Amino acid sequence: MEYLNLYANCQLVKGANMSLLCDLQLRKFYHLPNDTAEVLTFLQQGSIDECIAHYGEDNREAITGYIDYVISKELGFIDNRLLTELIPLDLSWDRYSDITNVIIEYNNGIDYTGNFFRELFDLHIQGLEIRYYQPATLDNIRALLEVFNGTTLKYIKLVLPYDEAVTLPVWDRLVKQYPRVKSLLLHTAPVNKVEKVFDGSVSVACFSSSINSCLACGEIRTGYFTANMELFTESQHHNTCLNRKLSVDQHGYIRNCPSMRENFGHVGDTSLQEVLDNPAFHQYANIRKDEIAVCKDCEFRHVCTDCRAYIENPQDRYSKPLKCGYNPYTNTWDDWTEHPLKQTAIAAYGLEEIIK
Amino acid sequence: MPAVLTHQHHIFMSQQILILSQSHLEGATDAVCQWMNHLRIPHLRVNGEDFFHFQSLADLPDNASIATVWYRRKINSFPVKYSFKQPDFQTQYTIKRFLVDEFNGLHAYLFHTIDRPKWLNDPLSEDNLNKLHVLALARKYGIKTPFTEVVTTKAMIIQLLDTHPELIVKPLSECIFLEDASGGQYKMLTKTISPANLQAVPEQFFPSLVQEKINKKFEIRTVYLEGTCYSMAIFSQNNQRTKEDFRDYDTQRPNRTVPYQLPAELEQQLHQLMQSLGFRTGSIDLMVDMQGNYYFLEINPAGQFGMVSYPCNYFLEKKLAQALHKNIMHEEEIHQ
Repeated sequence: MEYLNLYANCQLVKGANMSLLCDLQLRKFYHLPNDTAEVLTFLQQGSIDECIAHYGEDNREAITGYIDYVISKELGFIDNRLLTELIPLDLSWDRYSDITNVIIEYNNGIDYTGNFFRELFDLHIQGLEIRYYQPATLDNIRALLEVFNGTTLKYIKLVLPYDEAVTLPVWDRLVKQYPRVKSLLLHTAPVNKVEKVFDGSVSVACFSSSINSCLACGEIRTGYFTANMELFTESQHHNTCLNRKLSVDQHGYIRNCPSMRENFGHVGDTSLQEVLDNPAFHQYANIRKDEIAVCKDCEFRHVCTDCRAYIENPQDRYSKPLKCGYNPYTNTWDDWTEHPLKQTAIAAYGLEEIIK
Repeated sequence: MPAVLTHQHHIFMSQQILILSQSHLEGATDAVCQWMNHLRIPHLRVNGEDFFHFQSLADLPDNASIATVWYRRKINSFPVKYSFKQPDFQTQYTIKRFLVDEFNGLHAYLFHTIDRPKWLNDPLSEDNLNKLHVLALARKYGIKTPFTEVVTTKAMIIQLLDTHPELIVKPLSECIFLEDASGGQYKMLTKTISPANLQAVPEQFFPSLVQEKINKKFEIRTVYLEGTCYSMAIFSQNNQRTKEDFRDYDTQRPNRTVPYQLPAELEQQLHQLMQSLGFRTGSIDLMVDMQGNYYFLEINPAGQFGMVSYPCNYFLEKKLAQALHKNIMHEEEIHQ
């Protein structure tokens, strides 16, 4: 008897019509029809022969085809039994900091060395995104990066307007001086392209559109999907957009994300503890994709970063991200900006300008 | 919550966890310390590099204030360099060895000044771990090991190849990395000896450890922590390049690493083995052959547990922080 053993870090996520086989180790995902997913699920309990007997001899070729596919992608292996000692992956999620990621919308009128920021970065923040909507000098950028020396911050992403005077070798020197900077996004660039500096370890992405406010944020695209252990496990228990996330907008107000309506005080006169003790700050943290309308039927739900700031029905916090054009019932991607049912929400958020 | 603060203050004043590590390239220590901060577990991290700033022996960590010690690493690199005006390779090496011995002389003093039972792993046992002894001990507890011999002649190899189709040769101590004057790098990894490459073996050679080659289905890396085994299977078999030693990393097609449950009897035997060595934590290498037999290979008391923790989502850094914390709480109970 032969059995297909699927590796525990290759997780099947079933949608309304299609499924996603997520390889959390190799960080890849495979879009499969639900029929295939059903066969793979059967094979987790029965032998290959039993599977063929169950679905009928007519399906032998299809079933062996699915198995060959799994083997060729190294998602599993054949053995003379199902190895029960290959135990399931524990999908629990935990982190050693109350805030894991921070977004700062830069404003040169704000003191980033103040108490609030010191307390914040003492929490062992892992990732920081700094968004410059307006041009900034290199000295100004360096001065800000200096603030994070001596913290346990692991990576910084810089979002800046493109400046033709700043060439790749200049960025190369900057990221070598501040090795926490792991990626750069240069908006309002002449062309879309991605280059690498620091021996290929830091990407410099040029983006032709302009990013001049947070209204541009919250798009759901396949290019943004990530199949990895961190996101997949967090997504089982928490909201992947806002759980343990904090932002400081360009006016110094503390929010879950710059695009969210609610603020929890100003960095000038608020302590971090006050924010963390405020239940409202955590109100979105546990909204899982499994509970969100439409998303709960979507096979991409655990590789998706979600968006709680712009949603189809602003009155219903469990409604689908507004800027997602995917329909899991028909498996088609449409332009969300043209969807007739989204126009009210687009107007409510004042997004007409940016989607022209 | 003032009650909690007072309690922490009390613990901090009396006892804390000592972490001996190094200042650079030690992500595991960083993660454990970050968990300790988050869980508010009082701890003191002393890196080997810090010894260079101590004014006197009085600056060494003090026994009375330490509840338990996690000895993770000694030092990454000495912050000072000494050389002759006209450096010579041989003397340079001799100086380096001497400085290492000098530093060890100071560092190992802690093994005596801090009560032995406070150490998570017995430091003297850890610093003097002997591979042959550990293999013999494993067999004593009923754990299967690959046939192992130390040989000095080709004749003996030929004789062993009669009963074992292939042998592997690996160091009795630890693998090293070598670099020659022109910058060429040599990685020491496990190699196979079979009738096919026997001609490369000299008639007589330095005493060398050989083992029967196990036709492996997969390898297992187990992190042992306070009686519990957290295991991971490593599938490298379908990839020829890493068939002999999974450290020969292949970034294109990485080995598949998944959570694994060892049989209860083997876990019990490993527990006895670790206890007999005075280890409450360590990483254990095992192998499973095509017939499903388990073979014990070796113990690394300061093994990289991050490489098991992350792929299996075991949160071992947090579990270690909590295990160390229990020792403080236990101490508190004794004193009260």
